[in-house]
Amino acid sequence: MGNKQTIFTAEQLDAYQDCTYFTRKEILRLFDRYRDLAPQLVPLDYTSQPDVKLPYELIGSMPELKDNPFRQRIAEVFSEDGEGNMTLDDFLDMFSVLSEMAPRDIKAYYAFKIYDFNNDDFICKSDLEKTLNKLTRSELTEDEVRMVCEKVIDEADLDNDGRLSLEDFQHMVVRAPDFLSTFHIRI
Amino acid sequence: MTSYRNGGFFNAAYHDSETLEIDRSKTHHTNPYAGGERPDEHYSTGQTGGDAAVGRVPGWREESWRESIPMGLISTHSESPSWHHDLNHSTFQIPPDSQRDQSPHVRLSSKASGHMTMRWRGITMRRMSMFPNGDPANVAFTEDAIRNEMETEEQDLVKELVALSTRDRIRAIRDLPMSFDEKKHIRSHVLAFKSSKQSRQFTCFADCTETVSLSFRRCGSSMSSARQTLELWQGVMKEIGGKFGTSVLIYFVFLKWLLMFNIFSFLVNFGFITIPLLVYDPSPNIPPNVSFSGLEILSGAGYFHYTVMYYGGYSNETLHGLMEYNMQLAYFFTTAVYMVLCGIALIFSMASSFKKNYVLADPTSNSAWQLLCSWDFSITNERAVRQRKNNLRVQLKESLSEKAQRELLTLTEELKHFGVYLGSWLLSTGLAIGCGASIYYLCQYQQQLLPADAADWSLLQEAETLLVPFVVSLVNLVVPLFYSLFNKFERYSSQRRQIYALVVRNVFLKISILAVLCYYWMNVVAKKFSCWESVVGEALYRLVIVDFLFLMLGSFFGEFLSNVIGTRLLPRLGVPEFDVARNVLELIYAQTLAWIGIYFSPLLPAIQILKFFLLFYVKKVSLVQNCQPPRRSGRAAQMQTIFIALLFFPFFVGALSMFAYTAWSLTPSEQCGPFRGLNNAFSVVGVWIDDLEEIPGSQWAVWIYENVIRSEIFYFFISLIIIVIIFIFWQVTQGRKQLIGLLRQRIVNEGKDKSFLLDKLQNLQKSQPDKKSKQKNQKKHSKRRPDDHSSSGQSNSNAMVQALLARQQLEQEDERCSSDGVPVPSDISTSSALMQAMLARQRADDQDEDKHSSSSSAFTQAVQARQRAEGRERDEHYSTGFSESPINTSSAFTQAMQARQRAEEDGADDAHDLPSSVSSVMMQVVQARERAEKEDRPPWAPAPPQNSAPAGSSALIQAMLARQQAQNEYDDGY
Repeated sequence: MGNKQTIFTAEQLDAYQDCTYFTRKEILRLFDRYRDLAPQLVPLDYTSQPDVKLPYELIGSMPELKDNPFRQRIAEVFSEDGEGNMTLDDFLDMFSVLSEMAPRDIKAYYAFKIYDFNNDDFICKSDLEKTLNKLTRSELTEDEVRMVCEKVIDEADLDNDGRLSLEDFQHMVVRAPDFLSTFHIRI
Repeated sequence: MTSYRNGGFFNAAYHDSETLEIDRSKTHHTNPYAGGERPDEHYSTGQTGGDAAVGRVPGWREESWRESIPMGLISTHSESPSWHHDLNHSTFQIPPDSQRDQSPHVRLSSKASGHMTMRWRGITMRRMSMFPNGDPANVAFTEDAIRNEMETEEQDLVKELVALSTRDRIRAIRDLPMSFDEKKHIRSHVLAFKSSKQSRQFTCFADCTETVSLSFRRCGSSMSSARQTLELWQGVMKEIGGKFGTSVLIYFVFLKWLLMFNIFSFLVNFGFITIPLLVYDPSPNIPPNVSFSGLEILSGAGYFHYTVMYYGGYSNETLHGLMEYNMQLAYFFTTAVYMVLCGIALIFSMASSFKKNYVLADPTSNSAWQLLCSWDFSITNERAVRQRKNNLRVQLKESLSEKAQRELLTLTEELKHFGVYLGSWLLSTGLAIGCGASIYYLCQYQQQLLPADAADWSLLQEAETLLVPFVVSLVNLVVPLFYSLFNKFERYSSQRRQIYALVVRNVFLKISILAVLCYYWMNVVAKKFSCWESVVGEALYRLVIVDFLFLMLGSFFGEFLSNVIGTRLLPRLGVPEFDVARNVLELIYAQTLAWIGIYFSPLLPAIQILKFFLLFYVKKVSLVQNCQPPRRSGRAAQMQTIFIALLFFPFFVGALSMFAYTAWSLTPSEQCGPFRGLNNAFSVVGVWIDDLEEIPGSQWAVWIYENVIRSEIFYFFISLIIIVIIFIFWQVTQGRKQLIGLLRQRIVNEGKDKSFLLDKLQNLQKSQPDKKSKQKNQKKHSKRRPDDHSSSGQSNSNAMVQALLARQQLEQEDERCSSDGVPVPSDISTSSALMQAMLARQRADDQDEDKHSSSSSAFTQAVQARQRAEGRERDEHYSTGFSESPINTSSAFTQAMQARQRAEEDGADDAHDLPSSVSSVMMQVVQARERAEKEDRPPWAPAPPQNSAPAGSSALIQAMLARQQAQNEYDDGY
């Protein structure tokens, strides 16, 4: 117990617990994971809230992320600067959303952001193509890519504007119960 | 939601700051197209809601305006930048402060402008999207504008959160889709707000409750972390999920769940039945000639026959220790309550799983699901990722070609398919029935060899009893392989149907085997053997043990050997996949054995725990060593639901009815067990009630027993009520289904409406040439500042940015006129800036068109324009101090359309055809509406604005007025 208290103050831990889906123990474990990425950069004392940011290269090399085709997008979406460099808060936020406890809505919201490559708040055809290329290693022909994208939009686009809004996406996620278990990174 | 969404457009502060920010950031911008144009439109006022009120001032009053400009801000000053600066300050500082009176310490982190709450996500996201990767100035002004707006929204949110209970509040904060910093900020805000509110009340009491609730929460969270420490196999689960994905993981999750179930049942049985007996009488009464031979571990008979392992080992006495303990009652109630608890737990998990995974699932959106929802983020193994990508590619290709294939089927082919289905179904059903029958005859044959008293069994006979479980397990191992073979010949159109067919056949096989065994035990064993419950318990023990051995062998031979064959001998077959469905069915079968045995052998769950525990590791090793991830990622969550449902429906219900039949109808053996001497096990309750009658004060229990438990009328009414409730719920469900259908239809219809309106607008645009075309002509001889043209041309493709830039140029030009005193006709600058705005938008649209369909973005703009119109209309209502607007208050959009018609009539003589663009149409809507309002305005309406300014009493309004006056001056010049 003693050395735990030196990393965070009790108030900090309370704040972390209230704002993430983690318990105290998990927060401390995640802090250890975070620190393991760069022990020389991350201090052992977070009570004074040091401004530490780990670069994307380190975050993306975590075993949980390094083989994920979307790792860069995940890091970008959850990092405050939008470039994948993460503070401890971002780091906790990311794994909190990807944890088992996070509800469907918030998962869907962030999944939408991850798939929205050009940040225009719609998943349009170009986003779908990028997703598809990431998921199939660009081995489909252009025709097939186009057909798949059209089919996806055709199936999920409820308001017929030719792209998927957050509402469309959420609607689709409600109908895909697996999403909760697949949009999940065990830490 | 709508109120939030529109909030920004009604917020005068936002609009004004937006405009002013442009002024500040880009004062050097001028209009390259400025020329001799018509002064008819106040496009800029159309953009800013606050300006609209002043824009309504008729031209002839401008003279007096000029003289009465407050604070001398505009007219004769030559240093215009300072003027802007002043204005910025006056507008920017005051509104936020006035809004922040409640909680002045709030500061929103502007850096994370991408993260908003759900509530204002609608506006802010859209607004942010207007300025993607724009130059810093643009970003700056949107940030400021949004910040203003967010602060008010945030305060609403905070107030809402404060009103919630602590638990709800934490959940609500967690669920906000914001970055961590914002959540923390909101949280601290809420806490501060709450404590300040509390401190005004009884401080001591509030402090106490606060501390208590805080310590409770900390206690609760430390409990949950302790629970997590106890969580079994977390690391292993992560590894499996990382290598094989979620669909394989559900087998292990299921296994773990069953293990927990068994641990619970072991604790119950051991605690309430075995421990009291052992405390009372620790030594089992074993006959002297029986000794432990080792074979018992396999056969369960012999030495074990006399221990507490089986029903026969328990006494029927009332134990007199510290207190009286009635063994009969304990045995009966423990078993019965355990079964009921199991049933309730199963029903609950099944129902919640159904609700989550099955009812809402939509099989139609397959590609969308495959692409956007099926990727398993938990996979962390490179090989698995590669394989999964390949699989996904194959699946997508298949789903693309599926349609074409289905059309090719001729009648004869269909008949052939049908014949194959029929044949394989008949064959598999026959196989299952045959297996059941042969097992029955084998049992019959065997029981004839055995002596009626288990004590007389020789060691050889004991070993022979292993034959039946061996055959049963062999059947369970081999026949499913045949079923898989059948499956290869049938070509099911979808993989899911194939799996379902396989599952149904296997379930049928297992049910027929278990049913035959149960029948044999109930009808043959119960009549022949002297201590028949123990004999049945032994038979179940053997089945459990041999099944375990076969599971081990199955994973060795089934998986290891086919791995060897697949990698060494026949590479064509490939590495085997882990068959989740078959393995889960094996688990279900094993668990059913334990349930059936709970009455006959109360400690069977202990064996089961051991079995599942070992099985977990065996399966894990076998999986990692021998298998590859499944080629097709089925919908794992649905499979899980089906498995739980299967576990409940045929299997658990079967075990329960077996128990009920045994307890109610069969005569317990007379020499052993707790119920010796009774007609049936249930009559123990009757005996107990008879005893109770003598104890005063327990009449109510007797009454309940007589009038509720034993009365048919009670059950009749209960069933009736339940049936009625089911019927009502069924009707409600039907109604909801219809409602869902209707709502979905409505969404589709609205989408159609949208596209229809868009088409209509485009057609109108094509048929009616714009004023813009005329202006374009004029522009040609009026390129006065081409250098500035480049600066606007190079900006990003977003329409709104350019429109705003253009507007800013217009204002800036106005200002230049005022400061320099150059007699440039203001009409020229106004309309040229307008025109540039339109052109900019159009250009932006054209660029957009290259990438996406322009209609959608155009429509967004149209909606924005419309909202602007609405916002302005609202402002009119609010600003009655300035002018009485006689405009009717029907929807702004109607007005806009009407006004647009008028505009088109005006411009009908212009015969130039421009490439149509919806955005410019909407611009015209706004302009025309503006003019229409002006025309409608009665000349007497406006009071001198500076008089009414104090009514608004904010510097913001004054600043707006000042700027408005400046603009109107030049309109007036025309």
